[in-house]
Amino acid sequence: MTTRASLGVVSFSRADVVRFWRQAPASFRIGTAVLAFHIAVAITGPLWAPYGQADLFVGPALAAPGWSHPFGTDVLGRDVFSRVVHGAHLVIVLSVLGTLIGVVVGTTIGLLSAYLRGWFDTLVMRLIETLISIPYLVLALLAVAAAGPEYAGDPVLLVLVVGFVFSPRVARMARAAGLDVVTRDFVTIARLRGESPWSVVVRELLPNATGTLLVEFALRTGYAPVLIGTLGFLGFGLRPPSPEWGLMISEYRNLLLASPFVVLMPGLMLASLIIGLNMWTEGLARILGRSVRYDE
Amino acid sequence: MSSSSGPVARLEGVRLDYRHRDGWLRVLQDVSLDISPGEVVGLVGESGCGKSTLSGLLLGYRHPSARVTNGRAMFEGTDLLKLDRETLDRIRGRRVALIPQNPTTSLNPSMRVGDQIAEVLRFHGVTPSGPATTKRVHEVLESVSLADPSRTARRFPHQLSGGQQQRVTIAMALACNPSLLVLDEPTTGLDVTTQDQILRLLANLRALHGMAMLYVTHDLGVVAQIADRVCVMYAGHVVETASKTVVFDRPRHPYTQGLIASIPRIAEGGARTGLPLKGLLRRSELPRGCPFFPRCDFSRPSCGDTPQRLETIGDEHQVACQRWKDINPDVDSTRVPPQVRPESGPNETLLSLEHVSLRYGRRGPFDKLLGVSAPTVVHDVSLTIGRGEVFALVGESGSGKSTIANAISGLLAPFTGQLRFCDDVLPGTVEERSANLKRRIQYIFQNPDASLNPRARVRSSLARPITKFLSVASSEVGARIATALGEVRIPENYAVRYPDQLSGGERQRVALARALIARPDLLLCDEVLSSLDVSVQASILGLLEALKHDTAVTMLFISHDLAVVRSLADRVAVLFQGHLCEVGDKNLVFAPPFHPYTHSLLQAVPDFGKRARSIDAPEVGASPQAGAACAFVGRCPWQLGNRCVEEPPPWRTSRAGLRIRCHHEPKDLERLANGE
Amino acid sequence: MKLASLLLTRIALAAVTLLLVSVFTFAAVEIIPGDMATRYLGQEATPQAVAVLKKRMGLDRPAPDRYLEWIRGFVVGDFGVSLASERPVSEVLGPKIRNTAILAVSAFILYLPLTLIPAAFAAVNRDRAADHLLTSLNLLAVSIPPFLLATLLLVVFVVVLPWFPAISAVTEETSSWDLVQLLVLPTATLAISMAAYTMRMLRDNLIEILDADFVRMAELKGMSRQRVLWRHALPNALGPSLNITALNVAFLVSGVVVVEKVFAYPGFGRQMVDALLIEDQPVVQATVLLASGVYIAANLLADLGQILLNPRLREG
Repeated sequence: MTTRASLGVVSFSRADVVRFWRQAPASFRIGTAVLAFHIAVAITGPLWAPYGQADLFVGPALAAPGWSHPFGTDVLGRDVFSRVVHGAHLVIVLSVLGTLIGVVVGTTIGLLSAYLRGWFDTLVMRLIETLISIPYLVLALLAVAAAGPEYAGDPVLLVLVVGFVFSPRVARMARAAGLDVVTRDFVTIARLRGESPWSVVVRELLPNATGTLLVEFALRTGYAPVLIGTLGFLGFGLRPPSPEWGLMISEYRNLLLASPFVVLMPGLMLASLIIGLNMWTEGLARILGRSVRYDE
Repeated sequence: MSSSSGPVARLEGVRLDYRHRDGWLRVLQDVSLDISPGEVVGLVGESGCGKSTLSGLLLGYRHPSARVTNGRAMFEGTDLLKLDRETLDRIRGRRVALIPQNPTTSLNPSMRVGDQIAEVLRFHGVTPSGPATTKRVHEVLESVSLADPSRTARRFPHQLSGGQQQRVTIAMALACNPSLLVLDEPTTGLDVTTQDQILRLLANLRALHGMAMLYVTHDLGVVAQIADRVCVMYAGHVVETASKTVVFDRPRHPYTQGLIASIPRIAEGGARTGLPLKGLLRRSELPRGCPFFPRCDFSRPSCGDTPQRLETIGDEHQVACQRWKDINPDVDSTRVPPQVRPESGPNETLLSLEHVSLRYGRRGPFDKLLGVSAPTVVHDVSLTIGRGEVFALVGESGSGKSTIANAISGLLAPFTGQLRFCDDVLPGTVEERSANLKRRIQYIFQNPDASLNPRARVRSSLARPITKFLSVASSEVGARIATALGEVRIPENYAVRYPDQLSGGERQRVALARALIARPDLLLCDEVLSSLDVSVQASILGLLEALKHDTAVTMLFISHDLAVVRSLADRVAVLFQGHLCEVGDKNLVFAPPFHPYTHSLLQAVPDFGKRARSIDAPEVGASPQAGAACAFVGRCPWQLGNRCVEEPPPWRTSRAGLRIRCHHEPKDLERLANGE
Repeated sequence: MKLASLLLTRIALAAVTLLLVSVFTFAAVEIIPGDMATRYLGQEATPQAVAVLKKRMGLDRPAPDRYLEWIRGFVVGDFGVSLASERPVSEVLGPKIRNTAILAVSAFILYLPLTLIPAAFAAVNRDRAADHLLTSLNLLAVSIPPFLLATLLLVVFVVVLPWFPAISAVTEETSSWDLVQLLVLPTATLAISMAAYTMRMLRDNLIEILDADFVRMAELKGMSRQRVLWRHALPNALGPSLNITALNVAFLVSGVVVVEKVFAYPGFGRQMVDALLIEDQPVVQATVLLASGVYIAANLLADLGQILLNPRLREG
C-alpha cells in the first residue's frame, strides 16, 4: 500500500486527533466542551450528588442557596442541587434514545421510499405528510393521551413518543437525501445489476446520506430535551418526584416569588445542554460540509 | 474612448491567489495579455487553468476569496482593480460587457428578458426616455436574430430555448455598444448546430460593430473559427500566444502541441496524432519551474526548477518554453490514421430494435382529466447491431439517444415494438431479465463523478459484479480485480482508493473496468467522453480503440461528438428528435450523400481543419415545424415544399448500402451536398 | 392548463391530508383505553347507567358510523357536545379561538421584523463580524425552549420588575389597555421563539440566492449594490421564504399551547391541554383537527403563493 492509498483509511493516531481538533470550527469545540461537561455530570453525578433525587426534608423547606444547599431547597425540603444533578442522565438518556428510534425508523422508511418510488412512495409520503401536519407538540400530547393513564409518566412511553414524533420528520429528510443519491449513475448501475432494494439502500444510499443523517441526528437530539421538557412542564411527561428539568421548572414555578433560584438552575442546565448540542451540530455540519436545516 | 493606437484592455503581470484551507493557492502567475481595439483574442486551456478567473479581471471582478498581489488590469487607461464599486458600475455593462457561460442560470428567472435588457440601458443612461428604451431593446433583440422582438421581450427566460437565452445575453451585452466583450465559454452547454449559429452571429456582429472580444473556451475548434489571436493558458501561466494561423500551423509550446494533437479531426477520418497529452494537471503537484514539466515529452531536468518566461520568437509569437527551438512545429506530420479492425466477415446480429417507440410515463392525477399526456420521445426506431461491431448513435440533446440506451438496459420498457437480443425477445424491464442477461449487457455513463459510489473503495465497486454475476471463488476475487484494473491501465494499488482520490479520467476507467469485469456481450457507452478534458478524452478514446481491437465486445457508443464517432465507430445511426434519419457504415455516413440533418450537423462542427468559414451562410429556421410528417421540416435546407409536411419520408438505400430516410433520392442528396 | 393542473393537485393533496388527519385523530382518541362513558361516570357507576349514557352518546354504534357522523357534523360546524361542560364544543371553543387569534396575530406581526431584518443584515454581511454576532445570538435564542423563555420573562418582568400582571385572564370586560398589557409577555415569547427559529433559515436562503449566477450577472452588467439586492436577489428569495413562514404556523400552534399555559391565558391551546388531561374527547378531536387544519391551510397558501410567484410554474 502506498502512502497515497492510505489517505483513505481512517486512522486514530493521537496526532490526527489533535490536528482534527485544531482545525475544527470553534462552535464544534465549544459544543464538545459543553457536552463533555453534561455527560460527565450525567455519568458521575449520582456518585457525588450530596442527596438522593427524592430525599425529603434534608434541610429546611425553601432554604436560600448556601454552602449546604448550593441551589437552595424546595417546599418539601429537597436539595435542588442534587435533584438537578440527578436529572442530567435522565434528560440525556431519554433524549438520545428517543432520537435514535426516530432516526433509525425515519431513515429506513425515507430511504426505501426514495429508492422504490411508485405506490409505496406515494403511500408513505401521504402518511408522513399527515403526521407532519399535526403540530409536533399536539401530536406528542395526543400520543401520550392515547397511551392511557396506565402508562402515564413511564420513561419508555416518553422515549417512544419522541421517536414517534421525530420519525416522519426524519423520514422526509432521509427521503430527500435519498432522492438526491438515487438519480446518480452508480445507483442505476446497481439496479441494472439486479441488486435488491434493501441492498441498494444499505450499500449505495445509506453511506452517501450519512453526513446529512448525522447532522439530522445531532439536530434532533437538541430538540428532544425541549420536547421532553415541554411535556413534563405541561404534565404529560415524567411524573413527580422525577427530577426531569422541565418538570422541575413546572413544579417550582409557583416558588418564583419566594426563591427564583430553584427555577433558574434547572433552566440553566437545560438551556446549556441545548446550546452545547446546537453548537456541536453546527460545527459538525460545517466539518461535513453540509448546512443545518432547521425544521419544526 | 480609448486612443486608436493602444490596446483597449491589457493585463500586466497579474498574480492572483485563492484562499485555500491552509493558506493561499496561486491561480494566476504573472499573466499579461493585450487586446487591441476590434481584435478577437481566444483564450484556451483545460478546466482549472485559470481562464475564467482571468476573464473576470477584465470586468474588475474578483471572487470574494481571491486576492491580487501584483499587476494591473487596465481597461481604456484605468486600472479596474483600483476602482470602487460605484465607478466600476459605470464601466461594467456599458464599456465592457460579459456574455456568461450558462445563460439559463445567468438570467434572472423572475424578470422578463426585455426588462433585463432595459434596466442596463436605463441604469447607464444610454436611452433618454421610456419609449426610446423599449425601441432600443427591440433593436438589439432583432440584431441577435431573435424573431418577433416585442414578443420575445415579454418572455421569461424559461420560456426560451438555450440558444435563444444565449442570444438574449448577447443582446444585453450589446445594448450599450461596449468596446470590449468578454465571452466566458458562451457556447459550451449548447448543441453543435446552435453553437454554430451563435458563432456566426458573433462574427457578424463583430463585422458590424467592430468591438474587441476575449473569447474564453476549452474548444480549439471554436477558437479556430472566431479568433484572430490565440492565447494558450496552462496552470495559471500563459504558455503561448500567437496569431491563429501560427498557433495551429506552427505551435511551439509542447502543451499547445499536445492540445492540438489530442483532438480527433473529423475531416481526416478521425485521425489523431501520435503525441497526445499525457497525465493531467494537478494543482497541488506543480513544480517550481515550468508548470508543464511533469507532463512534457521535451523536458530536461532544469525545466522543473527554472521558471519559464514568455519570450518573443517571431512576429507576435510568444512562447514560455526554453526549449522551443528544439521542438518541431509541424504537428500534422505525426498524425496517424485510426486503427482498422480486421474484417470479420458477415456479422451475426446481436441486438435488434423492431419498431420501438418510447415515452416516459408518470402523470399527475389531474393530467388525464385536463388532457395532458406524456409525449413520445423515440418514434418507431428499427436497428440491428452486429456482434463485435462498434455502433454509434449520434444526435443532439433531446434526440432520444440516451432514451434508446435506457430501453436496451431495461430502465424503460418500450411503449410499442420490441427488442431482440441473440434472437430472443428482450424483456422490457431489468426486473424481468435473468441474471445472465443482466451480465451480458453492461452500461457506462457520461458523468465520472456520479458513476462510482463515493463511499465505496474501487475494490468493493469492482467486487460486487464479480460476486453477483460470476461464480468465482472468493480467494480469486482479488486477482480478478487486479486483472480488470490492468485492462484499463490503472495501477493495481488503486484498488484501495476512494473515488475522490481519482481523477475524472481514472474514475471513468474504473467504471469501464466494472462493466468489463462481468464479461459482457454488449457495452453501452452513454456520452462517456463528453465531460472530460480533451487530453483525458484522448486517452480514454485510445483505450476504447484498443478494447475494440483486442476483444469481441460489441459497443453501442452514444455521442454528440461527430469527430469522436468517426474515429471509433464501425457503423453510425443519426437521430433527430426521436426519429432515425440515416443508418450505415461509418465511411458512408460521413461522405455524401447525406441526410439533410447529417449534413447540417457536419457543417456546424467547429473544426480547425476547415478554418475560415463562410460567415454569411443562410440562417436555417430555428425550430422544427410541429405536426409535420418529417421531423426535420422547418430546419431542412432542402425541403421539397408541401410533400415533406404531408407525406412521411420513405427509407431509401444508396448504391453503397447507406440507408437514408428522405423524400430526396440518394443521388439528389449527393448532388445537393456537393453544392450543385 | 398546466397551471390549473398544478393548483388542483395541490388543493386535492391538502384535502386528502386533512381527511387523513381527521381519521388519525378520531382513531387516536378511540384507542384511549377504557370507554368514554365509564370514565365519565366513574368506576362506581352501575352498568345500566353506563349503557344509558353510551346510548345517549351513540357509543353503541360501530366506529366507522360514528366517524362519518362526526366528520359530517364537522363540515357544518357541529363539533359535538363537550363532556365536561355539556355545552356544544363550538360554544366552548368560540371565545378561546378569538383570544388565541388575537395572541397569534400580534405575535406574527412582531415576529416579521424580528426575523426579516436580522436575516437580511446577516446575509448581506456574510462571514463578517455582524453575521457572526447575529448567528451566535440566534443560536442562543434557539436553545432556550419557549416554556423556559416564558418563565424567564415572567421572572424578570413580573417578579423582579413588576411591570406586567402574571396572569392573563381575559374576559368580556377586559378593557383594551388591559388587554395590551396582558398580551405583551405572551406575544413577546412567541415572537422571539419563532424568530429564533426562522432567522437562520432565511439567512441561508438569502445567501443561496445572493450566490446565484444571475445575481453575479446583474453585478457584472453594472447594476448598483442596492438594485442587485432589491430587484434581483430579494424577489427570488420570496418564494422559498413563504414555505419557511408556513412552517412557522406549525410552530405557532405548538407555542400557543405552552405560552397560554405559562401565562394562564384563556385560549385555544390551554383548552386543548385541559381537554386532554380530563379526556374530554369531543373537544380534543375538534382542537386537534382545527390546529392541523390551520397548518395545512398555511402550507397550502404558501404552496399556491410560490406557484403564482414563480413564472416558471405560472407560465409553463
